[in-house]
Amino acid sequence: MNEQYRIAQKLGLMFFHDNLLPEDVKAWAISQLHSKSPALGIKKLSLYPKSKPKEWPKLVQPNLLERDNMFSTYKENRKREEMGLEGFTSQAAIRDNERKNLMGELDQLKFAHRNVYGEDQVKLRFTAFWANHFTTGNIWDNQNHIGHAIDEAILANLNGNFSHMLYKMTTHSSMLTYLDNCWSCGANSQTAIWAKKDGFQAGLNDNLGRELLELHTVSPTAKYTESDIKNAANVLAGWGVWPGRLGGDKLLSTAQRHEWLMKEGGTLDSWNFFKKTHAEPGTKKVLGKVIPAGKGGLKQLTDFLASHDHTINYISFKLAQHFVSDNPNKSDINYIAKAWKKSNGNLDQIHTAVIERAVSSKEPKFQWPMTWLFQVVRLSGATYFKGWDEIDKYNKTIMEAKKVFSELGQSFWHERQPNGYSSDKKEWLSGEMFERRIRFADAIYTAGFPTSNPDEIMDRIDANETTRNLVNSLNSKKDQFIALMCSPELMGLENA
Amino acid sequence: MPKINLSRREFLKVSGASLFLAGLPLPGFTKVKPPGTISVIMLEGGMDGLTAVPPFGDPNLSKMRKGLTPDNYLKLNSFFGLHPSFQYFSGLMAKNNASIVHATNFPYTLRSHFEGQNLMQGGGLSPFSETSGWLGRSLELAKLPGRSLSLDMPLILRGTDRNDNFYPASIRSSGNLKTKLIDMISMFHSKESSQVFKKVSKKSTQKDSIVPRDPASLAKYAGKAMSQEGGPLSSVIKVSQFDTHSNQGSDEFGRHGKLLKLVDEIIAGYREGLGDAWDNSIILTLTEFGRTVKENGTWGTDHGYGSAGFLAGGAITKSRVISKWPGLAENEQFDKRDLMSTIDYRSVCAACIEKSLDLDHDLIASKVFFTPELPRVYDLIFS
Repeated sequence: MNEQYRIAQKLGLMFFHDNLLPEDVKAWAISQLHSKSPALGIKKLSLYPKSKPKEWPKLVQPNLLERDNMFSTYKENRKREEMGLEGFTSQAAIRDNERKNLMGELDQLKFAHRNVYGEDQVKLRFTAFWANHFTTGNIWDNQNHIGHAIDEAILANLNGNFSHMLYKMTTHSSMLTYLDNCWSCGANSQTAIWAKKDGFQAGLNDNLGRELLELHTVSPTAKYTESDIKNAANVLAGWGVWPGRLGGDKLLSTAQRHEWLMKEGGTLDSWNFFKKTHAEPGTKKVLGKVIPAGKGGLKQLTDFLASHDHTINYISFKLAQHFVSDNPNKSDINYIAKAWKKSNGNLDQIHTAVIERAVSSKEPKFQWPMTWLFQVVRLSGATYFKGWDEIDKYNKTIMEAKKVFSELGQSFWHERQPNGYSSDKKEWLSGEMFERRIRFADAIYTAGFPTSNPDEIMDRIDANETTRNLVNSLNSKKDQFIALMCSPELMGLENA
Repeated sequence: MPKINLSRREFLKVSGASLFLAGLPLPGFTKVKPPGTISVIMLEGGMDGLTAVPPFGDPNLSKMRKGLTPDNYLKLNSFFGLHPSFQYFSGLMAKNNASIVHATNFPYTLRSHFEGQNLMQGGGLSPFSETSGWLGRSLELAKLPGRSLSLDMPLILRGTDRNDNFYPASIRSSGNLKTKLIDMISMFHSKESSQVFKKVSKKSTQKDSIVPRDPASLAKYAGKAMSQEGGPLSSVIKVSQFDTHSNQGSDEFGRHGKLLKLVDEIIAGYREGLGDAWDNSIILTLTEFGRTVKENGTWGTDHGYGSAGFLAGGAITKSRVISKWPGLAENEQFDKRDLMSTIDYRSVCAACIEKSLDLDHDLIASKVFFTPELPRVYDLIFS
């Protein structure tokens, strides 16, 4: 592969046939970190590839409050359904409720569109890395929020500091609901005291506190104790609100719900929602750091953890393994860690260091199934995802984005464990996963009508001899296309 | 490590559970077969042993976890009850074909899912110390030439970097796999990726089997496969989502209870599928840790230590609740929060291996669990 495509494979999502290739690909990749990031996509399959991709309309990109309200409405309608209220129990009504109020399907389509049509390919790759690092698996109660977290807590903060991203992810509804923080309260909080008096159950939940240390920051190498975990959970106690879970069995109107939110948290903003009555009084100590009581404590904790040596080393390794090479060496990791320390966690500097090492390292990097799929679609100019106007329309040749990711075996909207997807090549070398690459290459060719044929693609990327020999050993254009996309070169298994 | 000849393996995955079959003898293989089969049900997320098998004879139970204990538990003896989700299992106990080990775990106390899951499958001395699993190593020791493994199967069965798996995909606009095309792709790949495509190619000539969709049918399918002459000698079913930090519930309709019901259905599925092979089979559950004794502030429980293990199969001829009960009072708990583990669950696994694969305990202790002094509990379970 020529240098431009080699780097676009490692750090981006591949160029389209009509893209001008940058002469200095390293400079291009670094400049990509500051590219604009509109959510580009297509309205209808039939309009493409003739028309240019457009930005997703605001109407299908609701803001956080709208997402909260939609999810609450969804849950209220489900209660009405359970009560057997007329107009809420038919299959049509149930589907209508999902279609109007749930964002999972639409957000997955938008994610696919962005990755296929986006002009910010390097940013999108770093977005995927961090979305995986801060995994918020689907627990259904957060299905309206996963996509929002990816766009607004990660993509929107890529040019800031790691500590800011850490704080924004830790306090995002998608995370607070996924790791059960919304009802957690300190043992000596007002809520716990009232509950004790009234014979109710209330207290601490350490799920998020534990993963904050183990997975998001310092990792077990820091040798934190159970008391560190408990205190991290105590700092977190009070954070979060569960939009669909207010009012118990009672039906709440939006106005009643908002009244509750104002009373409990003093705001309708679920991304900045702190219930004083749930907070644990007193200072807390986490890994030796003293954290004061109150809402501001969490920022102090995440800032402290963000700049901890163990965090820097652990995530530098993860970045190197994801972007630089399947077996990153010490100097790759140290180079990134050094840039991290020198810039005090500035993500531009960290990402630049990753780019520099990925460019200088000639080692191959095996690509995740979802990354590979986007790269195949972009390289070939296929049209493989429906338009945003067609989400409810069955298409007999093209699957829904949600179904694509489900069959592919990888999606940020799947139910999964908080440690996320591995970047280790070994975890993906399996017959099941490889069979799917063949099937998807076939489907993209058959249903996506690529604008480039295998020969054109090979010329454009300057495919290596192995790839050319493989493709030329086959007769039909379709077989050639499948073989090209499943070649070691395009899977990221060998050097160009 | 001995060289392994690989044959075939089937990989099935359905919503809510995954199944892995392993230990398939090669066709024409004449060596005497091990006496039984061994199946593992992995309960990911941390199964709450105190909810599953409530020790109602312990006065502290009702004090500490009122909201988590079902009122309608089934009585096992004067001290232990059984969660109402285990209707089928309780029938097996009445027939002397099932037992429970309580207050047990792998010796891991740090409460991380990922370290705990790695340890319960790897069976090593510390998390992430092993790249193979205890069941994989056992099958290897039993000299099962057709042991079949894959990298995306659970670590518990791993032991080689060769892999072979298959789950028929359902992808619109993709046709049938063409052997010639896949062979060419495989030829141009090198090393491990070439091997992987070779397996895909082999599978392309086989008819897709009908894949069951629910865990009970999955277990039935596994049992049936294991009952066939030349069928797999081992299977693993994975059920996840036991990590109920909030709204855990108490009875069979609660979050944890529904999952326990699933375990009960899986065991029933195995029983049905195994048919006559039931007599020589053993099924055991595995979980990375138990959950806190006390209910947490969000109607759930946090990560703990000791839990309970469920054993079923015709290899068991006398039902028991095997336990050295540590007590639930705060000073009897581990770290003043968890049920203590008084039986090393590795010993339980070792006993099941000894029974089904006819391996010597000392060999298992040293070669599978790297702990020569591992206590032998065989007689507690199988005498």
